[in-house]
Amino acid sequence: MADYEERQSLLGDDDGGDSGSSAGGRAAAGAGGGPMPAICDPKHLLHRVVVLVFMCFLGFGSYFCYDNPAALQSEVLQDLNLNTSKFMQLYAWYSWPNVVLCFFGGFLLDRVFGIRLGTIIFSLFVCLGQVIFATGALVNRFWLMEAGRFIFGIGGESLAVAQNTYAVNWFKGKELNLVFGLQLSMARLGSTVNMNIMGWVYSKIADLVGSPGHTALGASLMLAAVTCLFSLVCALVLGFLDRRAERILHTAKDKTGEVIKLTDVKDFPFHLWLIFIICVCYYVAIFPFIGLGQVFFIEKFNFTPAEARAVNSIVYIISAPASPLLGFMVDKTGRNVIWVMISVITTLAAHLMLAFTFWNPWIAMSLLGLSYSLLACALWPMVAFVVPEHQLGTAYGFMQSIQNLGLALIAMAAGAILDNKGYLVLEVFFCGCICFALIAVVMLYFVDYFRGEKTEPLNCVTSLPVPARIHDMLIQPTISIELF
Amino acid sequence: MAATAEKRRCGVSSFLVFLFSVFSLCHSSFSGETFRRNLSVELNPGSPSSPSGGDLLHVRAVGVNDTLHFLFCSQGAPTLLLVHTNSSSSTVEVNWTQFEARNISGGLKVEPENTVMYSSALVFSRLLEYDDVNDTADPTADPFPPYELQDFTWSRLKLSGLSALLCGAAETFTNGSLCLELSVFESGGRDHSWPRLLHTANSSQLRVWLDGMLPRATRSRFLLELRAVGDPSPLSRVEVHRSIDDEFTPSIFKVSQWVSSANGSSDVSGYLQWKPVAYRQADAALEFATPCRHSDPRPQSPEETAAASGLIRGFYGAPQTFGLNVSFGLAGEPFYNSTKFFSWTVLLGAGSPPVDSFSPLVLAMMAVGLGTPTVLLLMGGVCVCIRKRATDYEPIN
Repeated sequence: MADYEERQSLLGDDDGGDSGSSAGGRAAAGAGGGPMPAICDPKHLLHRVVVLVFMCFLGFGSYFCYDNPAALQSEVLQDLNLNTSKFMQLYAWYSWPNVVLCFFGGFLLDRVFGIRLGTIIFSLFVCLGQVIFATGALVNRFWLMEAGRFIFGIGGESLAVAQNTYAVNWFKGKELNLVFGLQLSMARLGSTVNMNIMGWVYSKIADLVGSPGHTALGASLMLAAVTCLFSLVCALVLGFLDRRAERILHTAKDKTGEVIKLTDVKDFPFHLWLIFIICVCYYVAIFPFIGLGQVFFIEKFNFTPAEARAVNSIVYIISAPASPLLGFMVDKTGRNVIWVMISVITTLAAHLMLAFTFWNPWIAMSLLGLSYSLLACALWPMVAFVVPEHQLGTAYGFMQSIQNLGLALIAMAAGAILDNKGYLVLEVFFCGCICFALIAVVMLYFVDYFRGEKTEPLNCVTSLPVPARIHDMLIQPTISIELF
Repeated sequence: MAATAEKRRCGVSSFLVFLFSVFSLCHSSFSGETFRRNLSVELNPGSPSSPSGGDLLHVRAVGVNDTLHFLFCSQGAPTLLLVHTNSSSSTVEVNWTQFEARNISGGLKVEPENTVMYSSALVFSRLLEYDDVNDTADPTADPFPPYELQDFTWSRLKLSGLSALLCGAAETFTNGSLCLELSVFESGGRDHSWPRLLHTANSSQLRVWLDGMLPRATRSRFLLELRAVGDPSPLSRVEVHRSIDDEFTPSIFKVSQWVSSANGSSDVSGYLQWKPVAYRQADAALEFATPCRHSDPRPQSPEETAAASGLIRGFYGAPQTFGLNVSFGLAGEPFYNSTKFFSWTVLLGAGSPPVDSFSPLVLAMMAVGLGTPTVLLLMGGVCVCIRKRATDYEPIN
């Protein structure tokens, strides 16, 4: 307890005033006496900003490389002679390890590796996975590329848990909202840069190599692996800074706080299962769609490849600034279920537009970006209000696990549907998934309404992230993973 | 209570699905199936033995009070001729000596001649090849001498059911061949092989493929030159229609129609319809689709066309002709050399071209998908209203 309060005062005071320096002096004296320059002082804001920069770039590499297949869809299909089903396997293999790993990520970080070593190990997995993926393209072996994506997946999602845990260790209170927001924006930035740059990189490398082909593809992917290397360096630096801060401030390691008990699953209330259904059905209509988006825009709307990539990335570009704003709005108004319903209906409208009209897809994709951000802000905090605190870890872990399972299965299904039935049926399929989510939201609203007459309604006044109000560490590490 | 409410909702949505399926079934049975023609196939009508210059296939598609005559001939360049008469007893008369001589018209006649309402013909005149060194798909860049299809050695027409296969090769082909497969139809329907064009009883389908031929350069691309004749109105313009439905030809959202319209009206009296896609393997799949382009139809020399095709000479003489090139493969697409195969399909028919519509699957999915939440919302809203009214209690004071 004393430990907690000391940490509270040390890390919470960011003005470096008298109280701060005296407390710092007490602690710093143990390390060798004399005040340190502000940037080296672990409790000073400037140092923590430096740490924040490294924390944000920690996830950059994995977000950049996750959507490499989507950014280079035409090239991958042509150079490796794939059909769409096999192409979507690249996404499915990313999700498969996370069906199981979502439960164990926190455990591994807390008990087995510790946060620092764990982050470095997961960064290594991300790097290694991307390098193997690129090598597979270089030697034209598709199974190697799938293996690379599998390894990349092992590292990617767990790295997000680690990133959040670092954030929670270093920042408290209202700062944490900003930190999570920044991390989210960096993630989106990574995805956007990937979408818009990789095509250009590929064409330049194809000129260098002589002709487009799997060699040019492999070389481009190797170049993308540099971002993973960069993230690995950030992980190492963070580990060093964290160890140094621990040594100077004598703080104990914060844990992810996740307590996963699979037996809790049978106690989940009906509300929660509806929320799970909404989560799965919604995200399976977003990410596989973005994965297949480039060729869709080229074929149906006669876009050039560069334009197609740009419109594909608009979802991420919009969600970076929109998430904090929408989070603020959801925070102010409460009524999460209504926001979720609005978001689902808007997404349905966007998919209907893309399926049944030739209207400019910029409109539909912008709508998609806004509604996607809105859902993230409104849906995930609801879990915290439906489930008792000691089950939160299990609930979030389970939610991510089935989300990844859904993504893996639907990615393969989407590829198969496209190969056999074309884009219209694929879009109608996605509309069907969203309708399923809509059914669940409508049921959630009415179940909540009718039960809410006896208990409190699901009227959460909280938004992503929540640590300022719910200081329980259980929630934060698992929240931002879904935003992937 | 929630459980029974849900069961009621399930019941309503399955009823909706059933209604929609019934509707679509009725719709399809009334529109497609009733319009049928009786087909009779004849090879080399009136000829005592197989003519030396090439075979002539005659298909008579008899409707209620009209007849469509499809004539497919390999004398010279392969030609498909369609004659629409307003009598159900019209016949085709061939004077074989005149027909095989190919220097005067009148070798082939449809009797009685005054019943002929409309006729059109499609001639496959040339196969053009060019070397796309810079991968720009520009046919004028580096063309090779064209292959004249009239100089090919054509095999005998092989009949199987309602389709006929014709294969031929130029002398310079070491192996490989160019084949054409004609299919005629008794009723409306959809082809089972890609691009799965929708046809009616008023249309015939020609599938062309080049298989196994060795190209003259590693980066060769091909064009097919087509010439079309239409009487009374020639096939003079190509319309490209965009459609949101690519269910049957995945990733292709356009349909091209080379139409002839009657003077002054926009009614289409005959058409050539195709989807701008060719397939690089016999087992067509999405990953083997390659887009194709067409040039604008331009007038061609009537005499040249008639000299190339025995059927044109025999039926028309030297008619007004328009020609266009269909080029296979755009910049960035794999070259012919990657699979040494491409195939393309075209419909030739009379009347208005067939229009694709949604399949029952799509309609059903949309009905259920959009209907169920709406029903749920309505029912829930009703329940809420009932609840509110039941709990509204106005105290007396």
